[in-house]
Amino acid sequence: MKVAHKKALFDPLFNDNPIASQVLGICSALAVTTKLETSVVMSLAVIAVLALSNFSISVIRNFIPPSIRIIVQLTIIASLVIVTDQVLQAFVFDISKQLSVFVGLIITNCIVMGRAEAYAMQNPPVDSFLDGIGNGLGYSLILLIVGFFRELLGAGKLFGYSVMPLVTEGGWYQPNGLMVLAPGAFFLIGIFIWLLRNFKPELRET
Amino acid sequence: MRILRTFLDKQAPLFESGGKLEKLFPLWEATDTLLYSPSSVNKGTLHVRDGLDLKRMMGVVVFGLLPIVFMAMLNVGRQAHMAIAAGALPLDNWQTGLFQTMGFQFTNALWPNFVHGAIYFLPIFLTCFAAGGAVEVLFSTVRKHEINEGFFVTGFLLPLTLPPTIPLWQVALGTIFGVFIGKEIFGGTGMNILNPALVSRAFLFFAYPAQISGDAPWIAANFVGVDGFSGATWLSRAAAGGMDAINGLGADAWRQAFIGFIPGSMGETSTLLCIVGALVIVAAQIGSWRTIVGLTLGTFAMSFLLNQVGSDTNVMFSLPFHWHIVLGGWAFGTVFMATDPVSSSFTDKGKWIYGFMTGVLVVLVRVVNPAYPEGMMLAILFMNMFAPLIDHFVVQANIKRRAARHEAVQ
Amino acid sequence: MKQYSNAYIIGFAAGVCLICSIVVATSAVVLKERQDLNKVLDRQKKVLIVAGLMEEGQTITADEVQQIFDDNIRIRAIDLQTGDFDEDIDTVIYDQRKATKDLALSRVAPTNRAGITRLPLKALVYERFSGDEIELLILPIEGKGLWSTLYGFLALAPDTTTIEGMTFYEHGETPGLGGEIDNPRWKSLWKGRSAYDAQWQPAITVIKGAAGPAEDDPYRVDGLSGATLTCRGVSNLVQFWLSADGFEPFLAKFRGERSAV
Repeated sequence: MKVAHKKALFDPLFNDNPIASQVLGICSALAVTTKLETSVVMSLAVIAVLALSNFSISVIRNFIPPSIRIIVQLTIIASLVIVTDQVLQAFVFDISKQLSVFVGLIITNCIVMGRAEAYAMQNPPVDSFLDGIGNGLGYSLILLIVGFFRELLGAGKLFGYSVMPLVTEGGWYQPNGLMVLAPGAFFLIGIFIWLLRNFKPELRET
Repeated sequence: MRILRTFLDKQAPLFESGGKLEKLFPLWEATDTLLYSPSSVNKGTLHVRDGLDLKRMMGVVVFGLLPIVFMAMLNVGRQAHMAIAAGALPLDNWQTGLFQTMGFQFTNALWPNFVHGAIYFLPIFLTCFAAGGAVEVLFSTVRKHEINEGFFVTGFLLPLTLPPTIPLWQVALGTIFGVFIGKEIFGGTGMNILNPALVSRAFLFFAYPAQISGDAPWIAANFVGVDGFSGATWLSRAAAGGMDAINGLGADAWRQAFIGFIPGSMGETSTLLCIVGALVIVAAQIGSWRTIVGLTLGTFAMSFLLNQVGSDTNVMFSLPFHWHIVLGGWAFGTVFMATDPVSSSFTDKGKWIYGFMTGVLVVLVRVVNPAYPEGMMLAILFMNMFAPLIDHFVVQANIKRRAARHEAVQ
Repeated sequence: MKQYSNAYIIGFAAGVCLICSIVVATSAVVLKERQDLNKVLDRQKKVLIVAGLMEEGQTITADEVQQIFDDNIRIRAIDLQTGDFDEDIDTVIYDQRKATKDLALSRVAPTNRAGITRLPLKALVYERFSGDEIELLILPIEGKGLWSTLYGFLALAPDTTTIEGMTFYEHGETPGLGGEIDNPRWKSLWKGRSAYDAQWQPAITVIKGAAGPAEDDPYRVDGLSGATLTCRGVSNLVQFWLSADGFEPFLAKFRGERSAV
């Protein structure tokens, strides 16, 4: 793999994570992470949209008139999001119901527009595609970490399977209600950013 | 005594920079300064008006809190024994076992009440100190700070805001969360924007609501199935039944609530002792009377307004001011939480605004929010966040006024 | 920078729009059938769970769900006000929750304590069969809790008063307090209690504190501690759907027909 490709793919995981260092896309990260299952599906949806939108915008980047480039990007992203939503409704109906509007709101997820404008408009299709997957993975990483802790601590489960049996069902684990509420995700994301910046001091703004 | 001094001095090189146990310097320093006054003195010229240091400040607050601590133990035992007299069973736990082993009966009298209460209060208190102390030591060690007395007051305040039946592991977890998220990550004592004790309580309130809200937690006895006995705090009875419920408590009810022999969080029940505490911390100029008076005015204004507006569907609208201040955590929060010099406003004018708004919000949460009968904790935390903003505007206004005056003179 | 003519810009925009709309339209058309099937399946699963024919969280294939459903359950549409069956409605695609929001298919609800503002004209009831015998009536219920609208089902025995099950499949109550309405142990407390008293007035109530066993204390269910308002909401909404504005006309007719036979 070329160095540039590797960089495009892996930099967004830790060095330039869209949520932790760019602080983009927080809203959906709070809303869909009460369960690991929804976090995974949402991650896949975002990766798909990001990679495909980056790719298709990059393919036509030299033909897009600058005056209407934002609206063209938006049209493409919106179409991809609708298709994704339709696919989820058709194949994973239960989860798509839980994700409700948040799949549709990928359109407004700043990461997608941000990557299209900042990267795909200047780089060739393959690089852009990888950049999309990389940023999607960076977003997913946070989503999965937050989803993991919220489901484990909030409900004693992982992927819906009981890991720590609950007191109310005859077990020993007293679920932490804060984790099920949106502020729980805030605390987790906050702690994650704090840890990341402790280990990578170059990320700190001075 | 000299032996001890020499011993400590001998150990010093071990802990000072370059020594083997350099990392544990904060622990050694803490022991040393606890036992002896530091030998180091300030260099250069300083103008000291008053030697008010953190230690003395915390000491005064704790002094103001002591009567409340004793009241807490007394009332926890008293409430439990009253419930048992009404037909409830003692809780099936080690606390009950210890109480009986000590040879006490479940009678509503001074000593049994006090001892029974202490058996519930002290473990919570000690757990809180152990957990909070551990976090403090950890952060001081990592940051190479000296351990300060910052946790001392939090350690006293937090247990007083908890119900007697709360599981100890929850106390530990709540304390760790409060000290860590509420204080240390902002830079430690004096840097926090929220009151750490309230952060702890808020964490427990949202994470484990069943153990800190509802009717069961406030009395250390099992009263399920006892007819005509309610363990609910009077505030939540008011929230359910309005003034009718309050009037049903008897003619002497207000005085009882004022003195503090009612169910509730351990230290919040006595408005009388909170007033005593207020006198202590105001006299020592640690808590601000402006915050306290502002908060009282805010509560009065808002409750009076809602009394006038009235409501057919919400019975809490009719609860008058003189009941708001004796129920729930109003008095305790006003005196010991809202006045926290770190998390409240710094400017004098700011304190008025901060206090007043807190008072307004307490009543608003209590009356209008359907889910939480109590609003003191939420109101104070909310206003904690606005305190720096209030200060900013007060300072800006001051600068503008002075600039205008300057121009007028010219 | 390269200059583009207006014609090019308009042409380009039109081209992008055209391609995008083809993609979106294709996906919508191709997947439509599957999505509709999913919606039907989703409803069937919920009914099967409350009917005791399927465990919650159990994974069974779509075909099996369809199979169990067709073998055991019949959906009937009724006119809520009269209680008569309405055979004109296609019960497979009729969406009661959507109809409740449709001005033409619903009416303003009479004043009630369940927080219901509109009522559908037609409602669906599910009957569980064993042979030719109706074993269970499953009624959709909804109403306000503390924070959110609760959606669920109430399952009644053919005597129309013995409760066989009660479940909410959608709500937004506080986890740990009101959210405990999902607790299987609490839901099991409903079983065997009576919805109506001897005068056929809705009687079942969630009380504060603990109720006795179903035989001695048939009209009361244990409250959830710390969730007074959610419990009050549940009481109100169950009683509403058992009242004359809810399913009472239908249930009365159902009782009448059975005693006539």
